[in-house]
Amino acid sequence: MTIKIAVVGGGVAGLSAAYFLAKNGAEVNVFEQKYLLYGASGRNSGGLTAQFRNEALIKLALRSLELYNKLQSETGFNFLLRRDGYVKIANEEMANVLEEEVEIQRGAGVNVKIVDPDFVKSLFPDINVNAFSIASYFADGGVVFPWPVVWGLAKGCRELGVNVYDYTPVKVEVKGNEVVGVKANDELHKADYVINAAGAWSNEISRQAGIELNNKVFKEEICVTESLKPYLDPYILDVSTNVYISQSMRGEIVGGIVGSETTDINVKSSLDFLTNYAKRVVELVPKLRGMSILRQWAGVYDLEKDGLPVIGPTKVKGFIQLNGFGRNGMSTAPAAGEALAEYILKGRSKILESLI
Amino acid sequence: MVKTESGRLQEHPIVDFKRGGEVTIYFNGQPIKAYEGETVAAALYAAGVRVFSRSFRWHRPRGFFCAIGKCSACMMEVDGIPNVRTCKVYVRDGMQVRTQSGLPDAEKDVFSILDDVIDKVFPHGSHYSKFTTSKRAREFMVKRMRKFTGFGNPPRAVFQGKAELEETETDVLVVGGGPGGMSAAINAGKYGAKVLLVDENAFLGGQLVKQTHRFFGSAKERAGTRGIRIAGILEEELNSIENVEVRKETRVFGIYNGEAGAYQRLDDENGKLLKIRAKKIVVATGAYERTLIFENNDLPGVYGAGGVQTLMNVYGIKPGDMGLIVGSGNVGLILTYQLMQAGVNVAAIVEAMPRIGGYFVHAAKVRRLGVPIYVRHTILKAKGRKSVEGAVIAKLDDKWQPIPGTEKEIKCDFICVAVGLSPTHELLYQAGCEMKFVPELGGIVPLRSRFNETSVKGLYVAGDVAGIEEATAAIMEGRVAGIHAAVTLGYGGEEAKKELEEAVKEIEEFRAGPFGERIVNGLKKCTLESEVVS
Repeated sequence: MTIKIAVVGGGVAGLSAAYFLAKNGAEVNVFEQKYLLYGASGRNSGGLTAQFRNEALIKLALRSLELYNKLQSETGFNFLLRRDGYVKIANEEMANVLEEEVEIQRGAGVNVKIVDPDFVKSLFPDINVNAFSIASYFADGGVVFPWPVVWGLAKGCRELGVNVYDYTPVKVEVKGNEVVGVKANDELHKADYVINAAGAWSNEISRQAGIELNNKVFKEEICVTESLKPYLDPYILDVSTNVYISQSMRGEIVGGIVGSETTDINVKSSLDFLTNYAKRVVELVPKLRGMSILRQWAGVYDLEKDGLPVIGPTKVKGFIQLNGFGRNGMSTAPAAGEALAEYILKGRSKILESLI
Repeated sequence: MVKTESGRLQEHPIVDFKRGGEVTIYFNGQPIKAYEGETVAAALYAAGVRVFSRSFRWHRPRGFFCAIGKCSACMMEVDGIPNVRTCKVYVRDGMQVRTQSGLPDAEKDVFSILDDVIDKVFPHGSHYSKFTTSKRAREFMVKRMRKFTGFGNPPRAVFQGKAELEETETDVLVVGGGPGGMSAAINAGKYGAKVLLVDENAFLGGQLVKQTHRFFGSAKERAGTRGIRIAGILEEELNSIENVEVRKETRVFGIYNGEAGAYQRLDDENGKLLKIRAKKIVVATGAYERTLIFENNDLPGVYGAGGVQTLMNVYGIKPGDMGLIVGSGNVGLILTYQLMQAGVNVAAIVEAMPRIGGYFVHAAKVRRLGVPIYVRHTILKAKGRKSVEGAVIAKLDDKWQPIPGTEKEIKCDFICVAVGLSPTHELLYQAGCEMKFVPELGGIVPLRSRFNETSVKGLYVAGDVAGIEEATAAIMEGRVAGIHAAVTLGYGGEEAKKELEEAVKEIEEFRAGPFGERIVNGLKKCTLESEVVS
């Protein structure tokens, strides 16, 4: 008998899970409350890295980088992915933090190394070498345009027979201690498994199944300058000031400040972000002074207390978590989706062992 | 009657052009003579430059267009800083100006070939779907694509300007110093509210400064006075109120929960970032010009009427030798007259409707000057490679379709599209106002109360941003919004409340005539229930 699955959330996590489940024979419906790209998957800056401090997370990231190749070929969609490197920079105070995590990463098989500011300058000549003292460089990392990732995954899903419903908020239906399915527009979609991949809205979805999730919600803001000829290749994150920059395929300098916790889920932009970002980014790249800002926006994501994604079964039979990816969903969620599909269909997944 | 020198008008029957000292700027390395007080774009135009940039994808030529910092067609590299809107930057001796996104420059761009081939090889959106199955092909394509994307050159210099942060508070912030905004500021200010009026331009008056003709309408609202004089009268009134502060060259870029962010330019080197806490905000940002869809409508030399008026009436620069005007509303008719006044010929006026759109007096004046008006005609295409060299017009049938065989070629070197305006509503969207498409009001407009307050409490609209009308209506709306803002903040007492009712009544009466019918129908679709002023 075919396994029926309802995925709540049409972001990278939900669509990846749906894709691999459908590919392996499951009957899948994906429900997105707004439009595809409304959530964090459509609002992030597209940085791809494996520079994390937890081995399980690192493995997900490395696998995701492989999967991006596979997914683009299989779905026939170009995600505009560039492996031009991911650079974390830090001042003296934070130097040992970077050095420490590079040890962990190298131990887990990541091709990452500590470099000096001059090396970063060789990657991006406009950077102010006096603004930081050390960097960690991950050559296989880079930047992806998040929109085609979501479009491509949705296309791949549909081609496998998945229904991807947008503008369809759902309510999880539980009977006894088991999920029945989800209710959308008063219609019950029966499912053996309901996957909660609702990002910042995961707590709410979880509550519908009677499970307290307590992920923290973070809000992050980003802006872009007017378009310039491509000249900034790597993705650069300053862990001392939390500012990051990269350049989109359209040529805009995409930059933001790592998000902070919020109690209120909204995607309104703020003036404080703009002024703080501008002040910090021109210290890092003085030639960005005088550039016009073209747009700004905000997004929300969820993070579990210890910073690891929440993946796997719950005490309600059939209700599965796939959330808490924080600001690294683009880097880790494709592999998490693949692994979860394996876990559901085969009962086990090696890569998820330490997470479930 | 009108003398010109190097594209500039020397004498004009109405406007007296005061040019500053002569300076030299360098355009792609070539020296160009300009005068202080001219924008870079205006000076380049006067020197005969027509191709200002190339479009992002097709590398089609882009020229001088809106003249007021909205269209981005004139972005160039200025003294090493990319993406500078040259219509908003004034010339300075020795300034180095370069075109962007063309090799070797915008004029001679070798990539212009893309215009003919790119849609055959890469139809729009195909960069996501072509060459995707093999990893190598995909990565090669991404690298190639990246060579072609991007617009401005990476910055060559560190911008030397300094800006400091200033946090300020006010009762009423008015965004836009056109007739609507000035009227709102005057009427809130006269009852004692602390008012800050900001405008992105170096002058107040908004688009009134281009209106060299006399106004119609009610005598009370200065009928018979030329637009440019009305701007002066309002500004004087504004300056006479002590609690009204005016900041020019100050551009509001966002409204965040009652706090506005703005950038104030002080001089070439100095500016201020303003955080303005305002209890009430009146948005009076006006409108921009619509264009029409026809072949080559993006060719340099196809302008909005306002762009041509700015060139001619503000900077005293000839837009060309022979114009074609599309649209016979008042703007098209008045522009025709203004062009003739400045010694520029007008080949014809084209109007799609079966009759002339504007007032009879204007049309009669234009006819007396010998300009033919073709009603039930439309423009099919603009001719030319890098700028307009002519146009093809044709007669329309009852279903608005061009009748084959009626095509007529018109010799002209510029085309003015005067087919109406759309509200400049971005700030309202950004501030979270509920918006609605109302064709009678010219496009997407905010829902508003009869006191012009939007769905965002304390946020008002006045003038064209609330719906395309005319300067007189803008002044009346500004009065309503300004007084309501003051009254609800506790200023003005009974007297203000009484005037508020009068002001609402005045504008209702103004719209009661046949010309107001359309507006009244439009307003019915976007009026919110008003709270009673107690």
